[in-house]
Amino acid sequence: MSQALISQVLIGLSVAAILAIAAMGLAIIFGIAGVINMAHGQFIMVGAYTAAVVGQLGGNTFVAIPVAFVVVALLGLIVERGIIQWIYDRPLETLLATWGVGIILEVLMKVIFGPELYYVGAPKILDGGIRLIGRLPYPYYRMFLIAVALVMLFVTLYIIFRTDFGLKVRSVRRNRAMSGCLGIDTARIDMLIFMYGSGLAGIAGAVLAPIKSVSTTMGFSYAVGSYMVIVLGGVGNLLGVPTGSFLIGEGETLLAYKYNAVIGQLLVFVAIVIAIRVFPRGIFGYHERR
Amino acid sequence: MPKTIRRRSFLKGSAAGLGALVIGTTAPYYFQRNIAKAQEGDIKVGILHSLSGTIAIIETSLHNAELLAIEEINAKGGVLGKKLVPVVEDPQSLVQVFAEKAKKLLLEDKVAAVLGCYTSASRQSVLPVFEEYNGLLLYPTLYEAQECSKNCFYTGAVPNQQLDDFVPWIIQTLGRKKFYMIGSNYIYPKETNREVKALLEKHGGENVGEEYAPLGHTEFSTIINNIAGSGADIVFSDLVGDSIVAFYKQFRQFGFTAADLPICTPITTEQETAAMGPENAAGHYTSFNYFQTVDTPENKSFVERYKAKYGANQVTNAVMEAAYFQTYLLAQAIEKVGNTETDALIFDGLPGQEFKAPQGPVKIDEKNHHTWLWARIGKAREDGQFDIVWTSQDRIRPDPWVDYLYPNKDCDFTDPKVLERVKKPWAEDKNRSGTIDL
Amino acid sequence: MENKAAQRTRVVERAPLLPLWALILGALLIAIIGSFPYLSGTNSYVLLLIGKFLCFAIFALSIDLIWGFAGILSLGQAVYFGIGAYFVALSLKINYAMTHPTRYGSKFPDFMEWNGLTALPTFMEPLINVPFAVVAALAVPTFLAFIFGVITFKRHIYGVYCAVITLAESLILQEFIIEYQAYTGGFNGITDYGNFVGAPFLWIILAVTIAFFLIARFITHSRIGTVLKSVRDNDVRAEFMGYNVANYRIFVFCVSAFMAAAAGAMYAAWVGIVSFLDTGPLFSVEGVIWTAVGGRATLIGPFVGAFLVRGLEFLLSGSWFANYWQVFMGILFIAVVLWIPDGLIGTLGNWIRKYRRGTLTQIREEQDRIAHDRQRDWEPPGAAKPGDELV
Repeated sequence: MSQALISQVLIGLSVAAILAIAAMGLAIIFGIAGVINMAHGQFIMVGAYTAAVVGQLGGNTFVAIPVAFVVVALLGLIVERGIIQWIYDRPLETLLATWGVGIILEVLMKVIFGPELYYVGAPKILDGGIRLIGRLPYPYYRMFLIAVALVMLFVTLYIIFRTDFGLKVRSVRRNRAMSGCLGIDTARIDMLIFMYGSGLAGIAGAVLAPIKSVSTTMGFSYAVGSYMVIVLGGVGNLLGVPTGSFLIGEGETLLAYKYNAVIGQLLVFVAIVIAIRVFPRGIFGYHERR
Repeated sequence: MPKTIRRRSFLKGSAAGLGALVIGTTAPYYFQRNIAKAQEGDIKVGILHSLSGTIAIIETSLHNAELLAIEEINAKGGVLGKKLVPVVEDPQSLVQVFAEKAKKLLLEDKVAAVLGCYTSASRQSVLPVFEEYNGLLLYPTLYEAQECSKNCFYTGAVPNQQLDDFVPWIIQTLGRKKFYMIGSNYIYPKETNREVKALLEKHGGENVGEEYAPLGHTEFSTIINNIAGSGADIVFSDLVGDSIVAFYKQFRQFGFTAADLPICTPITTEQETAAMGPENAAGHYTSFNYFQTVDTPENKSFVERYKAKYGANQVTNAVMEAAYFQTYLLAQAIEKVGNTETDALIFDGLPGQEFKAPQGPVKIDEKNHHTWLWARIGKAREDGQFDIVWTSQDRIRPDPWVDYLYPNKDCDFTDPKVLERVKKPWAEDKNRSGTIDL
Repeated sequence: MENKAAQRTRVVERAPLLPLWALILGALLIAIIGSFPYLSGTNSYVLLLIGKFLCFAIFALSIDLIWGFAGILSLGQAVYFGIGAYFVALSLKINYAMTHPTRYGSKFPDFMEWNGLTALPTFMEPLINVPFAVVAALAVPTFLAFIFGVITFKRHIYGVYCAVITLAESLILQEFIIEYQAYTGGFNGITDYGNFVGAPFLWIILAVTIAFFLIARFITHSRIGTVLKSVRDNDVRAEFMGYNVANYRIFVFCVSAFMAAAAGAMYAAWVGIVSFLDTGPLFSVEGVIWTAVGGRATLIGPFVGAFLVRGLEFLLSGSWFANYWQVFMGILFIAVVLWIPDGLIGTLGNWIRKYRRGTLTQIREEQDRIAHDRQRDWEPPGAAKPGDELV
């Protein structure tokens, strides 16, 4: 392998990490809570603006991560209590309602912060990069992103599979009525899991802001990418997120290197269509016996 | 599921919903009347910039600059003793809505002129409307040129005003010859790069790579990897929108500094350099006719008034400045011809009109409806502002069809043959009475 | 007596295609819209809007047909609309360029010239013939829909997977249009080829609208419609009953793509501008929203939704709060979901039904049934399935 190609594969890893970070919150809200959240991109946007505000107050990304988690989780709480709790049994209508939420969030942020782009810098410690292998130095910040993606994944897996709360989440998801009978407050579980998913979207906004641009309209493309990742990996399966994002991330960067960015994206979309045709429930999805 | 609305009296809910809808549907009429309360004799000016949708970020600032100018003109006593009344429409970043709104402004509001549009796509979508109904559009954006419409005046830069001096300056003053060109994938960057390539040939530069990213793309690691392998010593960027900030940020994270490999661009404004942060912006070059740091008294007062009205953290940029001074040019033209008749403004009022703009005195060309502007090269500073490292001796003539690419093309609205044709009403000659392309 | 009862059942089953009051109301509406050009003059922008909204309404109707009656949520319906629009726009543009040489010195579209072509590419020459282009505009999307249907529905891909696969399809087309801008106009789209705003073409649009409405009415009230609804409500049971579910889905998907393509073709001719946004996912979502606001699984709903939402947008975006108008749209969408989940027309229908026949209990039952239907059209990922594990 040539030096350039090695660099490209490493870059692909970081792109996959970015996709995974953006998709993680949606994997919870969409995969586990079953809400088609069209405002996911706007949740990420709110997280990014939170990071911008934290930055202006003198904090860096490490401070912004918990703050964004809390802020967007609270936003998720408002949305869940105000709207989503009434429509859990009508998944397709959550699409419409959250679309409205997304629009409102965009306008609100524009009114509060003005129409201009916002600056979010990377922390000083993560400045620069190291030349390990390949042609380009590998930025510390991209290593940090890969680490964040892994931490988000493992923390989520831990919460779902090794805690009491996770047990309740799984049981509600399995059989809501029975869980209710056994004394689990299902509405509270719904609320908490929605908040947790929103919070993860907030973290995504905070950690992606230093390498992307921050504006009120930044959300939609993240939402599209996240849906692609989740559906390719398999809805409702947390391991689908790393798988889907790895395939899309590496595919896109390698194709972009071979041809160009536009063709790369085009071919990846074609590949996703084919992949869903082959795995109708996503790669890790559950294959129903019919 | 335990809680669902269906348990409630659906009648109550739907009545409330319907009530809200009725209010929602009728309310706009009141507001509409409110805005159009222009008194008899006031001069209406349409403002057509997207306030929502993907391009709103940039267009809102143009909208603001135009409103500021109108406010100032009114404060000084208006035009012909009448007030300018802005009629604001939001075309939602959608090209068809631009055309509808343009039609509404011309036919229902009967505006004297429309200040508006940002992207070429939106301008191209409204031009047929302006030509059919003989309206007047003032367009503030830099664009790829190669267009001349009777009904449009272009106050932004065309490529020859930004590139003709910039490319030789890079080659001679910076001493860098190997250009790597990247751009967003649409007409403006492709046209600009075509011109850059012609200039490179002329001045002895070299084109070592050319690449386009989808619009709105924010992942540039692959392109940066390609740049690293190309041996380029200058990156020429025509990226637009969200891509700009993401590219500059990632460019430095992958270990490139402005001293090694500067980015030169005809697009990146103060708005983006402020958003990408000091460490990412500093040292890169932009060619523009206006920077916020331009040292003229007009500019100082413009920046001051803009900040006073819209907030101290606001920055001004070249497109906003064009939006600002074109409003004044329009007011002066109306003052000159004494009425708001479209043909009088087009053939008598606007051509040759001069104004002391923040960037220096500007003038609308007598022949081709474009504007004589200054050329400047700025080097970005740590604070996101630009140090102006080079300024042209004089205003540069706009040339929509540069000679070295299109030797036989030009447009001249003083040519009697052209005049005879373009003055015919649309109904008599639907054969494109407006635009000429020779 | 027995005979009579049987007859009554048959009457209920085979209701007239349109009740009398609907015929009268419809005729009135058609008369108003049809005579609008004479009431307003051709120079009215409202006329422009009406024609456009009619095209949008057909587009929403096509979405309603697959989403409301067959339970297929497509976020890529704009693909068919867009392909139809692009065929017609390209054809008109080529012709316009040939007959308006002062603008186009080289007699072929300007965007091709900008992109370095020197003559009309050979494969586009058939498009000089406008009727051919119209046929292609209708046939190509329908054929694509057929292929797409075979790919997905034969594999039992539905629900959210279908939505995302159609979304991907939409993005593919968008990227394609922007990448091959020498042939498609790219980001700037195709514009400046004249338009057909005026009475004759408005009547064509109106006639097509009526025809499509009746076709949709016929399909949904025929045996096919009944099967489709059963497929929507429970596809597994429908399959056990011996129906080939995939074929029904493919059929209705093709019909809907045909309608969307026709809407796109008329839209391109009417408005005179086509851009890549007309093929994008945002436009598809808008169509879904119009349908939902107007009333899903009603045939008038899409019309009401498209006119109301688009009309409101046009009014609000021109008022003094142009900076904030979108908030109202957001609130409208949320309000519709929370308070009138059946959409405006659906709720009105429930209301009428209540006063016509039935006690409160019956209404409740009816509502429960509707809510149940809605729940069934897509199994939420959170639904319990045997053996389903998170990892």
